[in-house]
This record gives sequence, structure tokens and C-alpha cells, in this order.
Amino acid sequence: MSSYLSLKGINKSYGDFVALDDVNLEIKKGEFVTFLGPSGSGKTTTLMIIAGFEKATRGEVEIEGLSLAGLDPQDRNIGIVFQNYALFPHKSAVENVYFPLQMRKVKRKEGMRRAEEMLELVGLKGFSHRHPKELSGGQQQRVALARALVFGPDLLLLDEPLGALDKNLREQMQIEIKRIQKKLGVTTIFVTHDQTEAMSMSDRIVIFSQGSIQQADAPLEIYHRPKTQFVADFIGESNLLAGKVVDAASGILSSPVLGDCTYSGDHQPAVENGQDVTIVLRPENLTISRDPIEGRMNGRMKIETIVNYGDNALVIGLSGGVPIRVRVLGADVVILSEGDECCFSWDEDAIFLVAE
Amino acid sequence: MNTLMRVIAYAVIIFIAAPLVIVVPMSLSTASSLQFPPPGYWLGYYASYFSDPGWLRPTWNSIVIASATTVLTMILVVPAAFALVRHKFWGKGVANLMLMMPMAVPHIVMAVGYYSVFGQMRLVHTHLGVILAHTCLSVPITFLVLSANLKGFDRTLERAARSLGASPLQTFGHVTLPILRPGLLISALFAFIQSFDETVVAIFISGRDAETLPRKMFDSIRQEADPVIAVISSLLFLIVAIALIAPHVVSALRGRFTTKGQEKALIAQ
Amino acid sequence: MNRMISRLSEQQNLWPWLLLLPLSAYLLVFFAVPLADVVQMSVTEPTLGLQNYEKVLTGSLYRKVFLNTFMTAGIVTLCCLFVGYPLAYLMAHTSRRNAMLILLLITMSFWTSFLVRTYAWMVLLGNNGPVIWLIQAMGFEEKPHLLFTRFSSTLAMVHILAPYMIMNIYSVMQKIDKSLILSAESMGARGASLFRHIYLPLTAPGIANGSVLVFVICLGFYVTPVLLGSPREQMAAGLIGHQIEEFLAFGLGSAMAIVLLGVTLVILGIYHRRFGLDKLWG
Repeated sequence: MSSYLSLKGINKSYGDFVALDDVNLEIKKGEFVTFLGPSGSGKTTTLMIIAGFEKATRGEVEIEGLSLAGLDPQDRNIGIVFQNYALFPHKSAVENVYFPLQMRKVKRKEGMRRAEEMLELVGLKGFSHRHPKELSGGQQQRVALARALVFGPDLLLLDEPLGALDKNLREQMQIEIKRIQKKLGVTTIFVTHDQTEAMSMSDRIVIFSQGSIQQADAPLEIYHRPKTQFVADFIGESNLLAGKVVDAASGILSSPVLGDCTYSGDHQPAVENGQDVTIVLRPENLTISRDPIEGRMNGRMKIETIVNYGDNALVIGLSGGVPIRVRVLGADVVILSEGDECCFSWDEDAIFLVAE
Repeated sequence: MNTLMRVIAYAVIIFIAAPLVIVVPMSLSTASSLQFPPPGYWLGYYASYFSDPGWLRPTWNSIVIASATTVLTMILVVPAAFALVRHKFWGKGVANLMLMMPMAVPHIVMAVGYYSVFGQMRLVHTHLGVILAHTCLSVPITFLVLSANLKGFDRTLERAARSLGASPLQTFGHVTLPILRPGLLISALFAFIQSFDETVVAIFISGRDAETLPRKMFDSIRQEADPVIAVISSLLFLIVAIALIAPHVVSALRGRFTTKGQEKALIAQ
Repeated sequence: MNRMISRLSEQQNLWPWLLLLPLSAYLLVFFAVPLADVVQMSVTEPTLGLQNYEKVLTGSLYRKVFLNTFMTAGIVTLCCLFVGYPLAYLMAHTSRRNAMLILLLITMSFWTSFLVRTYAWMVLLGNNGPVIWLIQAMGFEEKPHLLFTRFSSTLAMVHILAPYMIMNIYSVMQKIDKSLILSAESMGARGASLFRHIYLPLTAPGIANGSVLVFVICLGFYVTPVLLGSPREQMAAGLIGHQIEEFLAFGLGSAMAIVLLGVTLVILGIYHRRFGLDKLWG
């Protein structure tokens, strides 16, 4: 994998507080990478270090093998879309987009033409002479995007740009950003704390927690094969259960809740006999039935709560004092009621182990 | 309780308005001493204000001194406000307090100090002396107004400019300054008014040569002789009244336009 | 040049001091030095020693003047409160439009030079003025003497300082959550008890701010008492001016000035300790 942007051993501390702890990452040219994590996990700090607004305590940021260390933000040629868009209120849309060209000494006539073209690309033809406060949130977002792209940046950074938009507009903008990014082929880092956004947009997701990278993989890989307990818990819903490996070679483990059971060996981390592991079971991979189902592994639980979502429902039960969450299709839920005893079952390849 | 409060409040409105209302008719009075209602009306005292160097000179002095004070105050306060709003450093609290001190010291105390020190420096009875003293007294209010504006400034705009290729200096010129312009103008206006209205220090140090308008007015009211005082009072009041009412009128007119503009924008979408 | 600036800004300790340097130097020379000179004069004019302070603090004339100053400042503050609170209350409880109009009137008064307002009071209270005319119209035979009394100077000072009080109280009242009042009413608080237990405590910060501001400004007030007050009932600032201008008694004048400054700073200091000075001017 030929790397375009490299983060090498980045550390950042403020006094005693360690904001980033040894962050290493390689990003390919043209890749759309999402930094995902709760607030305070270090994703925005990493972004600001790449942009040059924060200085790493240790470590290097390189683009095509060249260190950015000596470069001020204005010399890095990186386009950024900020959380609140940061459009200049005293300039019209087209003047905002022209600004980076103006700074690069592009002649006004030529620059304004390119700015107009870029506004057209983001779907704002005819709005160029509006000032930011005369534009809707989505339109401001587009202007900010055009402004960050017009000068042909080596890298595009998006810092939670969709946070302020309502749900419909948000989905529309996700598609729009993806379309424009593909068209221009610009390497992009997108910061968000919204996992569905990360799932739907990214080539790769980088999960941050407490200042370090937990996992950097393709969305489905992250979902199905979480490498750490944090990732398993943070992405989607999961049942995290304690267990112990009995026989690593033939895939047998034991768990206080699930009892002895088998798991498929593919894609599991390397484990040894007798090792403590966390068992990840996604609620949608569990099935509820009155009686045990042949050919599947079964457990028993008592239903505590049923939360209805219309097309599906979340059933939370207790098994040996441990809560078990099961996703059930809406049609199936009518036969269940709180207080019922029932079985829950799963396939052996529904189990993923996290060894920590 | 409520009705009592209301009755008092209406009385207070009259109490506050009465002195303001009385000034303009007084200036049009034909009487040469204080008399209200006036026995007759004319514009004679306006003519004498605009032809009397005894009044025009102090007016001009005040304009010059207030303008110079404004420039000097801004040169000193703008960097200081940036330092105190945007940076954290040891001694910041003390620095903040020191800046406010000229506001806490009664002007009469400063007047005694300037009278003595500027006397030794040969600055009494000079424009420069008054300007230097007024700048000192204008610092706190100007700083307060400016730093309030600066605190409301969104610094991501500067980061955005940097990321788009602007150096710190270009960022300041293209983004920071234009956006802060209204705040700068207002704080400058405060400096100007502070100087233009300042009376006590001017009474002590401006002398005959640099006599300011408030000093001349003070002397004139004290001697209770010159009816022109009513004219200058009316003019000063009218300037304030127009300055305060004009924005309301303008925004009421413009309000119509922008709502129309916004409607158009909504239809266009 | 740009590089240099950004280098400097990275050494965060130096940059703010550099920005503060011109103003600090200026205030040192044109604020601290004159103030220090007043202190110096108070103990060296005409001869070295504390005799000026002795005189100022024990002499009956000076004691009377200082007492009068505090009395006046206190009365003016109370009057401002009495005048300001109901108006602020009206503003907070009337339509937006009316509140705006009243606000406009107050700002207009505030921004009009206090010399102009002092002059206006001279007209209003003068021997041929409307107030006297009104008193006579009501059937009183005797023509009272209003001008150049404690009454006239107090009235004018209340008029000049009331906007400070009104604005401070109004800004607090405006922020009071209406549902607080409603919930108090739902719990049975009515009329006077609602006012005493809910409204007054909530508006107390505004009252405190306004009162400190009015009291402190009034302590050092020079122009209005000199122009409108009785020459026999001078206030401190007026007497200081008198000492310097008429008698060239720099030592005595300075000592009085320092005492006045001391009192002012003690009041502001106490305020600063409790609330923080930065809140005082909004």
C-alpha cells in the first residue's frame, strides 16, 4: 500500500494531560478516511495537528514522504471545512471561495471565474453574490466546501461539518460530499462522532478513544471484527460477555452465561488455551424462540423490557443475571411479553472474540 | 403595589424628560436671562454662537483634542485588548485591573495631579497636555467596549483564513480587521465622547489657550450671563438625539427591505 | 517579518507583554506619576509631614465637608434607587415598543453632556422657571429659593446618575425567568410577599451594582455641586478644587484628594472582593 499521508508516532500533551498517545496512521491517495470517536478522544486534536494549528509534542506528519513540521498552516495547502463553516461574514459566497485564490496571487478575473465554477460544482449556481447570513445552513456548508476545494488542496479535512444540519439535509449532504470527493479525487479526512455517517461515507474508519487509535479498517470490517472491547461497544450495539478459551485449535470456549460453545475459527484474533476473552454477540444476530432451535446454540433468558421501534424491537432479557439484548423484527415481537421465559440462539459464526 | 410602581414610573419619565425637553425652546428664547416659558422666540443667539470666536474656538479645540485623544487611545488600547482577551499569561488579572484604574479614581484627584505634574512639564494650557490627560481617562471605557467585541469574535474565522493560505498579517488585514470594524468604530466613538465631555481635568489644565467646550460652558453657567449656553446645549442635545434616533429610523426602513429580500430568497429556493 | 511574528507568538509569554507594553508605559507616565505626585504633595507641601492629613481628618470644616459628601452621595443613591426601580420595573413589564421608547429616552439623557443637563435644571428651578411658576399657581404665596441649595444639586445629580441605576436594574430584571414568578404565584405568593421574597432578591445584584456605581461617582462629583449647590455646603471635590485654584494650597488639596481616593478605592475594593469589578460596568 503506497502511503500518501503518514502520521508517525504523534504525541500531544498539555502539561500532565496526554491528549494523543503514539498515533500512527497511513492514508492512501484519494482515500476517504473517517476519524470516529467520542468527544475528547483525540480526533479533532489529530486533525488540528495535521492542519498545523497545534504542534505535536512528538512525532511527524508527512505528505508523500515530506515532513510538514516546518510549515505554517498557510503553507500546507490543506483545505478545511470547519464545524461552524467559518465563512467570512463580510464577504459574499463567491468572494469567500475566491479568497484562497487571492492569497495565492491569482488575478481577480481568473480567480472569480474559478470560484464561480466551484460554486456550480457544489450546486450553488446563482447564489454567488449572497452573503453567508442570507444562505441556509446547507448552502453555507456547500460554500465552505467549495472554498476548501477551489485551490486544489493536497488534503481535505472536514471537522464534523454536518453536526449543525437536520437529519434530512444531513443525509443529502453526505451523498453530495461523497460525490464531489470522488469527482475531484482529493484525499479526505472526515471527523465525526456519528457512526452511521462514518459507515455510509468512508473507505476506512479510524476509531479513536482516549487519545489513541483503537482500530483503522474498512467499515464492515470494523463492524464485524472489532479488535477491541471499546470498538465492539462503540460501533453498533453489542452484547459483551466474559469468556475463556477452552480449545483454541477446534474453537471451543466456555462462558458463565452462554455455557460451553463453539465458534468458527475464521477472522478471530490469535488466542491461547485458557485465555480470558470478551465475547461479542450482535443483537441482530440473535434469535428468540419459545423452545431451543436445532442446529443453533441456545441460551435461556427472562424478558425484562421490550422497546418497540415500529419495524423492529429491542428485547432486553436477563440470563444468569447478565442483560442480553436481542433485535427482533416487528412482526415477531407480538408473541412476546415482559416476564416471559424464552430461548435465544445464535450461529457459531456470529461470535467474535476480543482478546485484550 | 403594582399601581403605585406604575404611577412613580410615569412621574420618573417626566422627571427624566423635562430637562431634555426644556433645552431647545430655551435656545430660541429672546430673553437674555433664564426665563421659562420664553417671552418670545428668535434665532439670534444661534447667530451669535456661530459668529462668536469666544465659543467657536473652544468648540474647535474640543473637536481637535477629542479626535487626537481617540487616535492615541486606539493606538494604545487595541494591542492591549488583543493581549488581554486572547492570551493567557501570568499577571493578566493585575494588568486588567490596572487598565480599569483611571475609571476608579475620581477625576478631581487626577486633575490635581495633572495640574501639578503638567505644570512642571510645561504642558498646562496646551492642547497636548489635555490630549495626554484625556487619553488616560479614555482608556478604561474604550478597553471595555473593545474587549467585549473581541470576546465575541469567532477565532475559527482566523484559522479558516490561515488554512486557505493567508499569513498572520494577511489574516489580520483581510479577516480580523474588517469583521471587527464596527466594534473598533464604537470603541473609538466612546473614546471621543469621553474626551469631548470631560470637564474637570479640562477646567484645571486647559487654560485660555486650549480651552475646551465643557470648560467654556462651565464658566458660562457659573457666571450665569451668556444666553448662548442655551444654544450650545441644544446643539449638543440634538446631536445625541439624532444619533440615537437615526439608527432606529434606518433599521425600520431597512427592515422592510430585508424582509422583502428574505421573502424573495425563500421563494427562489 | 511574518515568520518573526509567528515565532514570537509561539513564545506565548513574551507576545502579550509586548502588546501591553505601550499602554502600560503610557499609564505609568501619565496616570501613575500624576497620582504619585498627589500623594507626594500631600506629605511635602508646604513642609514635610502628616500635618495636612491631621488637618483634613480633624479640622471641623473638612470633617463637615466629608460628612456632607457622604450624606449627599447616600441620599442621591437612595433617590436613584427610588426613582430607578419603578421605572426599570415598568420597562420590564410593558410592551416591547414602550420599553424601547423609555430606553431611548434614558440613553438620550445618559449621552447628553451633564453640563447641558445641569444647565437645564438651572432653568427649571430658576426664579423665573416653570417649577416656581407651578408652586405659585398652586396658591403658595411665598417664592421658595430652589437654586444653589442642597436640594437643587441633589436633584440634578439624581437626574444625571439615575440612568446608571436604571440600566443596571433593568438588565437584571429583563433576565428574570418569567416562569419563576408564575411558579411562585402558583405556590400562593401574592403582591407584597411575592415582591419581597422573590422579586427583590432576584433583582438584588442590579441594585448592588447600580448603587455602588452611583455612590462612587457621586463621591467625586465636581461640576454639578459646584454649579448648582450651596456654596456653604460644599462637597469634597468642590473644596479640593477651591483649595487648589483659590488658595494654591496644594498640600491640603492633595491630602483631601487622597482621602477621597482612599474611600472610593475601599468601596470598590470591597465590591471587587464580593462580585468582581469587571461586572460593575456591565
